[in-house]
Amino acid sequence: MRVPLEADVRAPARASDLPVAALGIAAVAAWLWAFLVTDRVAILGALLAVAAIAFVLAQRSAVAKRYGLALARRPRMGVAFAAIGVLAVAAALHDQPYPLLMLCTVMLFVVACIGLDIQTGYCGIVNFAGAAFFGTGAYTAAVLAKQGVPHLFGIVCGAIVAALVGSLLILPVLRTRGYYAALVTIAFGILFSTFLEVNNALGGPQGLKLPGIDLFGWRFNRDVDIGGASASFYVNYVVLALALALGAYVFSRRVDRSWIGLTFDAVRLDETAAAAFGIGIARAKIIAFTLGNFLCGLAGAVYAMMQGFIAPNNFTFGESLILVSILILGGIGNPLGIVPAALIIIVVPQKLQFIQEYRFLLYGILVVLILLFRPEGLLPRPVRRYFPAPR
Amino acid sequence: MTQPRQSTASVVAPLLACHGLTMRFGGLLALDALDLSVASGEILGLIGPNGSGKTTFFNVLTGLYRPSAGRVEFGGRDIIGASPQQVCRAGIARTFQRSRLCLPLTVFDNVMIGNHLRLDHRVSFNVLRRGALRRQYDECVEAARSLAATFNPRLSSRLFEAAAALDMIDRRRVEICRALVNAPRLLLLDEPSAGMTRGETRELMDDILQIRAARGELTIVIIEHEMNVIERMTERCVVLNYGEKIAEGPFRVVASDPAVQEAYLGQAVAEA
Amino acid sequence: MDPGVLAQYAFNGLMLGVIYAMVAVGFTLFFGVLDVIQFAHGDVVMAGAFVALATYLALHGLGVAVPGLVVIVVACAAALAMALLGALIARYLVLPLRAAPAFNTLLITLMLGSILRELVRLFYPNGSNPQPFPRLLPTASVNLGNFTLRLDTTILLVVGLATIFVVNLVVRRTRLGLAIRAVAQDSETARVMGIDFQRIVLVTFAIGSALAGIAGVVYGLYYNEVNFDIGLLLGVIGFSAAVVGGLGSIYGAIIGGFLFAALQTIGSVALPVSSAYNNVFAFAVVIILMTWKPTGLIAEPTSERV
Repeated sequence: MRVPLEADVRAPARASDLPVAALGIAAVAAWLWAFLVTDRVAILGALLAVAAIAFVLAQRSAVAKRYGLALARRPRMGVAFAAIGVLAVAAALHDQPYPLLMLCTVMLFVVACIGLDIQTGYCGIVNFAGAAFFGTGAYTAAVLAKQGVPHLFGIVCGAIVAALVGSLLILPVLRTRGYYAALVTIAFGILFSTFLEVNNALGGPQGLKLPGIDLFGWRFNRDVDIGGASASFYVNYVVLALALALGAYVFSRRVDRSWIGLTFDAVRLDETAAAAFGIGIARAKIIAFTLGNFLCGLAGAVYAMMQGFIAPNNFTFGESLILVSILILGGIGNPLGIVPAALIIIVVPQKLQFIQEYRFLLYGILVVLILLFRPEGLLPRPVRRYFPAPR
Repeated sequence: MTQPRQSTASVVAPLLACHGLTMRFGGLLALDALDLSVASGEILGLIGPNGSGKTTFFNVLTGLYRPSAGRVEFGGRDIIGASPQQVCRAGIARTFQRSRLCLPLTVFDNVMIGNHLRLDHRVSFNVLRRGALRRQYDECVEAARSLAATFNPRLSSRLFEAAAALDMIDRRRVEICRALVNAPRLLLLDEPSAGMTRGETRELMDDILQIRAARGELTIVIIEHEMNVIERMTERCVVLNYGEKIAEGPFRVVASDPAVQEAYLGQAVAEA
Repeated sequence: MDPGVLAQYAFNGLMLGVIYAMVAVGFTLFFGVLDVIQFAHGDVVMAGAFVALATYLALHGLGVAVPGLVVIVVACAAALAMALLGALIARYLVLPLRAAPAFNTLLITLMLGSILRELVRLFYPNGSNPQPFPRLLPTASVNLGNFTLRLDTTILLVVGLATIFVVNLVVRRTRLGLAIRAVAQDSETARVMGIDFQRIVLVTFAIGSALAGIAGVVYGLYYNEVNFDIGLLLGVIGFSAAVVGGLGSIYGAIIGGFLFAALQTIGSVALPVSSAYNNVFAFAVVIILMTWKPTGLIAEPTSERV
């Protein structure tokens, strides 16, 4: 039995592979563009089929593995390629607000799910209240924006308040394990949306309106003029969401590939043994829980300002289950898996309106099937490599 | 060679001394006013029938259970009521009866869990100062590699494979590496032979003796059912039955003690 | 406060307690045999209520209107359907994941709960709105000052208690119960002794789920309304009640159920905020109780094997 290493030394990777890897990124970008832009069921189906086939082939083929390696050894290059890819897609979609909005939504959900992954995937703290922390960020941003607080500050506050609300739950989370901890977060998730429903100060079931983001005079909700060509204002949000998604990704990778990530793993896999070797269980859990809620709140705050409107039914227990579904589909503990999973789970129902109504049902069935037949998800978590292998 | 060791043990203050250690689970008395001391540099065998309180003793020492009564001094310091973390910091490391490696993690990661107290865990250090982290990491890889090599050169070349890929004896070796990497003063081995063949056990014991010879002052308490392991490894052993110490002394002496024979025989009769 | 009003509150609290206890007993039975929490159990209660409702409508359509007969047929239909559902859940979702991490079982049952809720919401006619549940019991009542003792709620209370009593009897006094307790004690040994492990697990899930089905009927008859999302609250409270009483103990589950109902009733009487916050209060109590006694008031005497 041999567990695949991320940077498997057997396949030689060369610097000359990079242009080809770039080509691969271009292909992915083209696919993403088509995926976001199409509104025909047949094309959507074909695109998903192409992706599935490419996915299977890439897992089998040594060539794809080598190009993947060339990127894995240059993590910064990978991030740069991803940024260029998304910006290219955004440029191609510049006058189509709806696909741009979806792109942003996906990237913000990626941020929130990376937060949950730090908690659940790394440290083993189950959190079924993801939507509540996302919502805490959103409502904080909304309330602060209404008070005329600078938006950047409001967004950061959203993240911090989510982390603080999380610290209210930290005692129960530390004192309970497994099923009991799950119960605590489930109860909190439902409590949160019920509270929003009945609390008139926060708009009740009708929710709250928000202004678009205004960063030091840069008004996000104004269409962009670049050299005479006019672009939808959502391009602004794409840039912001992209920066957050890449930042969250790099951050979570660095956390994982460090002594902190190792500590999280030890806590998740065996608390008793971890404690016997001097690992502070409580400290690890507090760090993981706080970081995760911070990211959820951050994503929620930006999401709220982008949508311009939030209501309690955006942040129900069902939504928390959707966040967890993304995690499971992508492969728990692997932040890279979150990206395709979020694309599928968020975009497909938007495209197929007749699915929209059935999405909770379909996700439920999807997760049940994954757990029964491929519990490691689309992209299983590789063993830890602290640093890229020598070139 | 057993004689001189014993005499030093009685002169120098013991490394570990327990007085009246008692552990009660509901109505069950798992440890009954146990007095036990371990001299620095000694290898002490802890034997007794199943359920006689041997593992409970380890769990109390390492802070997993809080004893109902009694005192434990380690290196002159009272460690009763200390958390597992504090016990580890004081210099006690252990292995577990059933393998408790983190199987999905690499061999290196598992060893580094044992090295936890020497690693820098500040978030800022780990996330922002990657260069400094890299230097610490490189040193750790070297340390882990040389530690693994004292056991088995092949093991040191498999440092970055998942522990799940190793066979039983190598997993045990990794567990012992994990316990030793932090250079503890006292090593608690809980049935190191469990699940291994006699040949593998012998190989592992040779490894342990070799490491101890290289390290110098390493005190070991070993729980074992394999009596030839006890006979070969220990200068002195303590026999527990129903949480009580029923005999103490060199293995040969203890083994011929009628109380000990009855304890084992009694169990054999009950099992038959 | 007026003693009549107080008595009314106490009676309503008892009623709530019976429903919670019925749900909690299921949790405790499942945990006993498999060390598993079936998070969809609350939604099984909801499904039971909807099966009962559909059966009633079918009977109504057929022109069957003998009151006593209808209520018995309706309750039996709910119990049997849920028993089958429970066994299916055990066979195809819970047992296959025995070797996997507990997180996977947790998730698969949570998702199953979501699936059940959605199935009712989407496919029951007008399922996204609360459905009126018929009054199938005699509604005669006695007035004692401000306290109204209604015959139907009294019947429900007695029937609920009797069902729990019967389940307890089955577990304590029959051969089947002996096998269930043997599996709960030590499944390995039970297997060696020739007990068909899988069969016992399936039967236990069937019994617990049938009880949930009846709890659904009691709920419907008491509130005269059911909604697709009642299972969430019932599940969380039922689980908490089982935990508070000590998972694995039937008596503990019953005590936990009544304790929870008492807390909720006292909360709704004593708290100065509007009754809209009832559920917020209930969930907050769950969180606080779990923090205070993470493994229940009557702690299970387990020590982890190291």
